[in-house]
Amino acid sequence: MIRVAAVADVHFGMESHGVLRPSLEHLPDRADVLLIGGDLTRCGGPGEAQVLADELRGLPIPVVAVLGNHDYHADKEAGVRARLEAAGVRVLEGEGITLDVNGVRLGIAGTKGFGGGFRGAHGSDFGEPEMKAFVGHTKLLADRLGRALTQLQADFRIALLHYSPIEETLVGERLEIYPFLGSYLLAEAIDTAGADLVLHGHAHRGTEKGRTPTGIPVRNVAQPVIGHAYNVYTLAARSAEPSPAGIGEADGRLL
Amino acid sequence: MTTPRQDYLSEHVRDKLIHDSRVNEQDLRVHVGERSVTVAGNVSTEHLRETISIVARELLPDYEIVNETKVVPVAEPEGEEPVA
Repeated sequence: MIRVAAVADVHFGMESHGVLRPSLEHLPDRADVLLIGGDLTRCGGPGEAQVLADELRGLPIPVVAVLGNHDYHADKEAGVRARLEAAGVRVLEGEGITLDVNGVRLGIAGTKGFGGGFRGAHGSDFGEPEMKAFVGHTKLLADRLGRALTQLQADFRIALLHYSPIEETLVGERLEIYPFLGSYLLAEAIDTAGADLVLHGHAHRGTEKGRTPTGIPVRNVAQPVIGHAYNVYTLAARSAEPSPAGIGEADGRLL
Repeated sequence: MTTPRQDYLSEHVRDKLIHDSRVNEQDLRVHVGERSVTVAGNVSTEHLRETISIVARELLPDYEIVNETKVVPVAEPEGEEPVA
């Protein structure tokens, strides 16, 4: 069994020292990996990312994250990413990684994702350049996510997002803002490539549980939704294919 | 700056709370009454909660600020959920 701890929207500011770390004390006993679904910082400042990096530094389990819209606000997302990666956090954007968890390969593909809306009411990349850019950005990231998922060689695959791929986990939010909270294009990419679990944040007033149209479990792990430092989801062990030679000797290490 | 019409004050407060670098919160609900402003929603720290009152008061010094925001709890979860 693989135990996945997940949270999103921690919104760390410069004064957030010590907010999360006490609640991570027992995390290594409870989970094999910690996934963070974006909005790591409040305004996208590398200094804020450093505060979070200091909270996460030295955790004995892998930490994998994607950025969220807040992490882009200061136009310093590269700095945010660099501070986190220097502390050992793996930050994904249109990329995938595979972890060895007790001999089982856990693949994670991540992207921030973006908005546009949902089936029957999605924005179109048509008309003004601003509209083309908006929807075009979502298409690009959804395409990269699908490719990253497809390329994963793993026993279990997780899609880690900030924006939502489905409407079901947005219930509680105002309908008018759904197009700014996610896009069905992300779900289509996931359903086409296949996955065992989808995690996202961004919708603070949404609902935790949903499924993609093909039935893949989706969990909105925005901290205001789950009301905890993180939630833990388990993936039951399957008869794993043999790992490639030289892989699988160390628990939870990056492959 | 021209004083905004009463009908649009709540959006001016919301916009201020989104863009002021001391707050940068997109998910706050703002209601402007006769002489009071109510702000609600979830925030990540007590410091941020207090700052919201300060920023709102700067924008509308003649209004009573009713801060109903709540700090998101970060306790460890109780159990785990099998998903696959």
